[in-house]
Amino acid sequence: MSVAGALAGAVQVLGGVLLAPLIPGLIQRLKARLQGRPGPSPLQPYRELRRLWHKSGVAPFPRTVIYELAPPVVVASSLVALVMLPIGGRSPGWPVGHDALVLVGLLALGRFAITLAAWDTGGGFGLMGASRELTFGVPVEAVLLMVMVLVALPVGSTNLIALSDAAARPHVWGEPAHWAALLAFVLVMLAETGRQPIDNPDTHLELTMVHEGPLLEYAGRELAYLQWAAAARHWIMLVLATELFVPHPGPFAARLAVLVVSVPVWCGLLAVVETTQAKMRVLRVPLFLGAGGLVCLLGLASWFAGGGS
Amino acid sequence: MSLLAILLAAGAVVVACGLVGALIGGLRWSLLLQAAGMAMIGAVGTAVLFGAASVGARFRSGFSPALGVDRMSGFFLLVLSLIAVPALYYARDALRGAPRARVTAGLSGAFCLALVGLLTARDVTTFLGFWELMTLLPAALILVGRHDERARRDVFAYLAITHLGGVGVWASMLVLAVHGALGGTPLHGEGLRALVAVLALIGFGTKAGAMPLHSWLPRAHPLAPAHVSALMSGVMIKLALYGLIRVLFAWDAPAPLWVGVVLLGFGALSAVGGVLYALFQHELKRLLAFHSIENVGIILLGLGASLVFAAIGRPLWSAIAFAAALLHILNHAIFKALLFLGAGSFAAAVGGLGLDRLGGLLRRMPWTGGAFALGAMAIAGLPPLNGFVSEWMTLQSLLHVAVYGPFGVSLTALVATAALAATAALAVFCFVKVIGLVLLGAPRSGECEAAKESSVGMRAPVVFLAALCVLLGVTPGLLVPTLAKLRLSSVPLSVHAGVYLPGTGGFPTLALTLALVLLTIGLWRLGTGRRAAPTPIWACGQAVVPALAWTSSGFTKPIRLVLEGVLRPTRELTTVRAQSGVVQEVRYEAEVPHLFDTLLYEPVTAAALRAAALVRRLQSGSLRTYLIYLVGLLVLLLVLVRLGVLA
Repeated sequence: MSVAGALAGAVQVLGGVLLAPLIPGLIQRLKARLQGRPGPSPLQPYRELRRLWHKSGVAPFPRTVIYELAPPVVVASSLVALVMLPIGGRSPGWPVGHDALVLVGLLALGRFAITLAAWDTGGGFGLMGASRELTFGVPVEAVLLMVMVLVALPVGSTNLIALSDAAARPHVWGEPAHWAALLAFVLVMLAETGRQPIDNPDTHLELTMVHEGPLLEYAGRELAYLQWAAAARHWIMLVLATELFVPHPGPFAARLAVLVVSVPVWCGLLAVVETTQAKMRVLRVPLFLGAGGLVCLLGLASWFAGGGS
Repeated sequence: MSLLAILLAAGAVVVACGLVGALIGGLRWSLLLQAAGMAMIGAVGTAVLFGAASVGARFRSGFSPALGVDRMSGFFLLVLSLIAVPALYYARDALRGAPRARVTAGLSGAFCLALVGLLTARDVTTFLGFWELMTLLPAALILVGRHDERARRDVFAYLAITHLGGVGVWASMLVLAVHGALGGTPLHGEGLRALVAVLALIGFGTKAGAMPLHSWLPRAHPLAPAHVSALMSGVMIKLALYGLIRVLFAWDAPAPLWVGVVLLGFGALSAVGGVLYALFQHELKRLLAFHSIENVGIILLGLGASLVFAAIGRPLWSAIAFAAALLHILNHAIFKALLFLGAGSFAAAVGGLGLDRLGGLLRRMPWTGGAFALGAMAIAGLPPLNGFVSEWMTLQSLLHVAVYGPFGVSLTALVATAALAATAALAVFCFVKVIGLVLLGAPRSGECEAAKESSVGMRAPVVFLAALCVLLGVTPGLLVPTLAKLRLSSVPLSVHAGVYLPGTGGFPTLALTLALVLLTIGLWRLGTGRRAAPTPIWACGQAVVPALAWTSSGFTKPIRLVLEGVLRPTRELTTVRAQSGVVQEVRYEAEVPHLFDTLLYEPVTAAALRAAALVRRLQSGSLRTYLIYLVGLLVLLLVLVRLGVLA
């Protein structure tokens, strides 16, 4: 295993597991600053996790083993997704492959597990959130796959390492298809990370919850799992955005540096969007995401208009 | 005569003995005999698929009967036996005490034999004969069990639609036979080949339940007994695809590009349409029937991609897409049979399958319920089960069509990719709803409260099929190269547990499953520490009463509202009782109408009836009128001959 591979592996595991909670913390902090408040420390999510880890779980009734299995399944699928994602176009060669579409499947598995847990307890608020989350999941998956088609055009592969290498080559940056895919991906990113204008992660009003709804019946370590998984989803989406779209030429060290810079920049972008955009009506979200699909169609047309390089 | 041929004949004889035995002797042992015979036939199919020499005759264009098994038939015989054996075994307990159980059991054997006959037919006469039997026997099987007005109407619709569509099968097969294409002579003439392709698409597409020719399927499948539903949804509609594959990939090959693009269109429509209507069903078996339409759509997407790849000169990807379609045929057969058998067990335990009347069955029926949940995960296309593998391969094929194809094809493939992704997400939505309403939460009716786990004889087949779902999800790579070789003999794919395709990041199913399972177990042990005393669920401090329980329509409401413009749901709110201006009781009815019925089938039926009424005016019943018709026709013919129009 090369040094670069080992380093990438360390960032995948340690970065993904340990640094992921920093992302929502950082966004909260930046958002508060933009709104003129001091805001909580970026380390606040860690304190939350520590507090939850030492609390006991709850035992709602009725429930089956599915209630208990859902948080571990959500975390396990996120962990596998973390090591599937190359860092700076490198990976130490974990035996789980690097396929973009398998990654999409793993995200769907997490969504399945948590929404099923909502049915297990049968709570109205949990199911309301679950039903919305699954509704959003339809355009999210469709647009995400269209994005994958567009980024696969120059390389003819869905291997994440090959895709990351493609984004490192300068001639891709002049392709309108590439930027169309980025635009659509940002919409998907807003939905997958549960950020405004699609979902409001700060809400305490059950009726408005989407991602948070099914989490209502959880406490203790199980809730800590789910909150970590939400943070890990931020990590996956932001790293994916960097690896697939941000120009990162040069050797591995330079690519790593681009990653280190670009993830906080993405956080800043999300904070700006959260500050300037109000949450939209639930039923308008699918149309909003569907616009990403149209952008992808235009991107494909532009690819062929340019002769397809 | 080879050993395999003897085994095949012996298997058929054993099934036939079981058939006769069911009618005259004991029900249980004769069904066991039928299952044993189907297992023998399946063994022959498996042997041929994995490299044994073909058995019996080859395809011929003559009209004299001939039977044989080649590798393609071998694969489908394997699929058939994997479903038929558990289904027939299940019927032993399920038919106990059922009305006319003997006739049902006998007809089940006959149905299986008809399916075997269709797969082993090597000439057009045998093929069409068994094709008709395959259509008629399920109708008989349904009508033996129930003969209420509604069932009779639905069976009539089934026979009418499949026979109208069946014209396409007859016409295309006869044209192919007449021109010697079954025997290997390629068809000549673009027009003729296009005609055969269109006829085959209509004929086999109707029987496969492809939209918009599907209207019979959600009517007929839910009516049959559980094990027959499993055979119909799992195998029968696949045999229509078998016919389509034979025509498009062999007899009428090479198909032009547009056929592949048309298949992609039909596939995308069936996939999205099927799952969308499934989402709004309130009866479990009807819901599952709509999912059969969805999965036929996914298979058609794979087949269409294969044809497109062949037309644009990508033989390897053509073989991969073909393998994806075949793998999905196998996978869908397994999980759909599992779900139908599971639904049969629930119906036997509870007495009905209205989704809003079930609930809490996982705790009461852990074996059946657990297997059903696995099957639901598999059909929803979730890793690490088998449904995800074939959907992943199909998605990869579509994605690579978009990458390699010319602009129009690429655009179609992009839309088809999005459609398949949306289908997968909608299937997750639908089966979260199904598992939630059927297996989880509190029981929603007294019968549900009192439900008991079904007998071992009904449990074992369901668990067996669930184990197959896991096995094929973990080691699909053992099968994929064999399936790809059915299309391209020199496929550079080696045998692994996982699926490694060029132009993908690889899908190491075994390692991925192990990682997921081990991590889940580890985290589960770490995470479930102490628990506080049982707490009620959070409902803003209200008591949780049954009226707060969520329903099927409540859960799917957001997507219904989003797609209101397409689905055109109807709702009606009437005040039943009001007291001094204050409403006390309301009545609420809402429905998502099946628009294909109201906008397509009903106008066509009405027009046909009107045309028939017009034609009936000619039939006055008076002898003199008929004489005038005869004289008129004669004069007309003479005039035409005189004018030289008729030589």
